[in-house]
Amino acid sequence: MPKRKDVSPLKRRLLRELVRENVDLKDNRLPRSLRPGAHRLRTTLRVLALVLFPAVLLGSTQLITSLQTPPPPAPPAGVAVPARPAPPDRRFGAPEPIHADVLPLAVHRVAIDPGHGGTDFGAHIPQGLREKDLTLDISNRLARLLAADGFETVLTRKGDQHLSLAERGARASQERADVFVSIHVNWIEDRGSRGVETYYLGSTLDPFLNRLAAEENRGSGYSMAEMRRLLDRIYADVRQESSRKLASTVQSSLYHSLREVNPVLEDRGVKAAPFIVLLTTEMPAILAEVSCLSNDQEAEMLAKPLYRQFIAEALAAGVRSYADAVAGTSPAEKGS
Amino acid sequence: MSDKREVLHVGIDLGTSRSSISASNGQRHVIESYVGWPLDMVARKVLKKPVLIGRDALENRTMLDLHRPLEQGLIKEGSEKDEAAVRELLWHLLSLVGVKREERGGTRVHAVVGVPAEALRVNKQHVRKALSGAVESLMIVSEPFAVAYGMEALVHSMIIDLGAGTTDFCVMNGRLPTEEDQRTLPQAGDWIDDQLLRHVNTRHPQASVSIHMVRAWKEEGSFVGQTKTPVLVTAPVNGKPTELDITNEMRQACEGILPPIVESMLDLLSKVQPDYQERVRNNVVVSGGTGLIRGLGPRLEQELQAVGGGKVRVVKDPVFVGSDGGLAIALDAPEDDWERLSS
Repeated sequence: MPKRKDVSPLKRRLLRELVRENVDLKDNRLPRSLRPGAHRLRTTLRVLALVLFPAVLLGSTQLITSLQTPPPPAPPAGVAVPARPAPPDRRFGAPEPIHADVLPLAVHRVAIDPGHGGTDFGAHIPQGLREKDLTLDISNRLARLLAADGFETVLTRKGDQHLSLAERGARASQERADVFVSIHVNWIEDRGSRGVETYYLGSTLDPFLNRLAAEENRGSGYSMAEMRRLLDRIYADVRQESSRKLASTVQSSLYHSLREVNPVLEDRGVKAAPFIVLLTTEMPAILAEVSCLSNDQEAEMLAKPLYRQFIAEALAAGVRSYADAVAGTSPAEKGS
Repeated sequence: MSDKREVLHVGIDLGTSRSSISASNGQRHVIESYVGWPLDMVARKVLKKPVLIGRDALENRTMLDLHRPLEQGLIKEGSEKDEAAVRELLWHLLSLVGVKREERGGTRVHAVVGVPAEALRVNKQHVRKALSGAVESLMIVSEPFAVAYGMEALVHSMIIDLGAGTTDFCVMNGRLPTEEDQRTLPQAGDWIDDQLLRHVNTRHPQASVSIHMVRAWKEEGSFVGQTKTPVLVTAPVNGKPTELDITNEMRQACEGILPPIVESMLDLLSKVQPDYQERVRNNVVVSGGTGLIRGLGPRLEQELQAVGGGKVRVVKDPVFVGSDGGLAIALDAPEDDWERLSS
């Protein structure tokens, strides 16, 4: 079959776009549709206008001044003038992940997200314990503990109200939180299981985790197109590495602290799963399953305020350790 | 210095259920998207092959570690075995059109591969990875766009590509479709299979029915609306082959897919510029194997009455419409562009 010669102008244009898109994909660059090109250009023009206007004014003043001031001496002949180093190749939007250590930003403000709320009870048992109440209680405790440590805190909900997952992320972003901690209580089909686990955003092949994520993702308020855009970004996002670190620190703290009062507690580990609430934020974000309401003994413990306080303290210690690590000081140094 | 080696252009539709290839040497092939490795030494001895692909794999599935490596039209992420299965599938497709694995460097293959409309970049990268070493240059396109290109329906049309894993929608406006022009639904052929299996198990609890049997029944007798011929199938009941009437179950399973499809179709139409909505309504193309459900076209036309009516065309030969579209793109792309895409 020969190459076609009579390609219409419309097809030629479409093919050009298609090739450009595929070259971006091959070179691992974000597609143009995801780059803030037009917006960036407008912003650049505005900035240029602001900078150039005074610069022109200043330039004309200097022109007048230069008529009176001798020019700086030229370098002597034979002395090499060091060449200005070539600017680095910064292809805008290149999605190669940046290592989190490159951007050691301090943690000042913590967004705390009590899972579920309002008509969404989350997990619940006939004895009257409901996930939405437990998460709110633990969140309030955590907020107080962190505030006492000098952190600013933001709660995505302060009462028994329903919030979409998108609204939760938006609230944390509006408040410019540095990290996001979503608090949930697990429900595991094997009711003998009791443990803690912490998630950060990522994909998974585990059908259990996918089911869990689907359950938590109900009513996200996002269209598929919006979701696709969000997912595309996250793969090139520094937040993923920071979120993994935060998850790992919080999980370690949860497990080791709670095990002292709950010796049979299982370490269910740090896991990646596609929870939308983690996708909607603009800062490192984790989702902590702090206990299992499906386990009778855990449910009994959760009913006690003291155990909920222990959970909050373990979470606070995890956040604190992460903040210390990011700031470059070990907890020991800080405490001394 | 120009490369004098022979160039073969191919279009590949990598489907959850079936995969097809159309090549510039005139060859076209379709295979079932199954790959299986013999489970043990005995199986290897009986089967006499290190890996079985397509129908061969499906028919010998009891002796195989069987993989259907594409889920919802995408390579299952993270599973090495599934990645290997996709590579086997692609190599097999290429071998069917004359590209020999052992003659790497012999023929330069320029391939266009279709993926679901809303495939993520990471999914596309997986396809690139799976094809590396097999083709010289690769272009990845959204499946409905490949269909539209092949059918010359690039302006004021809507493509509804009903596959096994996903249903893809795409409005063509004479430009490369953006995210706003496309939708992907998880309800497609596999979803119907699951529903049908559930309904049949509920109605005939004694019958022993597998998903593969149900899939074959659907391909024979799927329909929406009314039918004059009952859907009669044979399945073992307590070990004895028994004829079962599954007409109602088939209708129920197939009609279950209509609400999300109609909703997405009307939603996408409402987003088309008002001046062009009527033209798009009158140029709806249904492609893909699941699009062959009897009565689907007229039913969608009936639903379009709510917004002023329209015309729905069902592609009669859905098996190759995607790969033919891919081949058309491959042949139309200038050689310089293929060089830019070489890996």
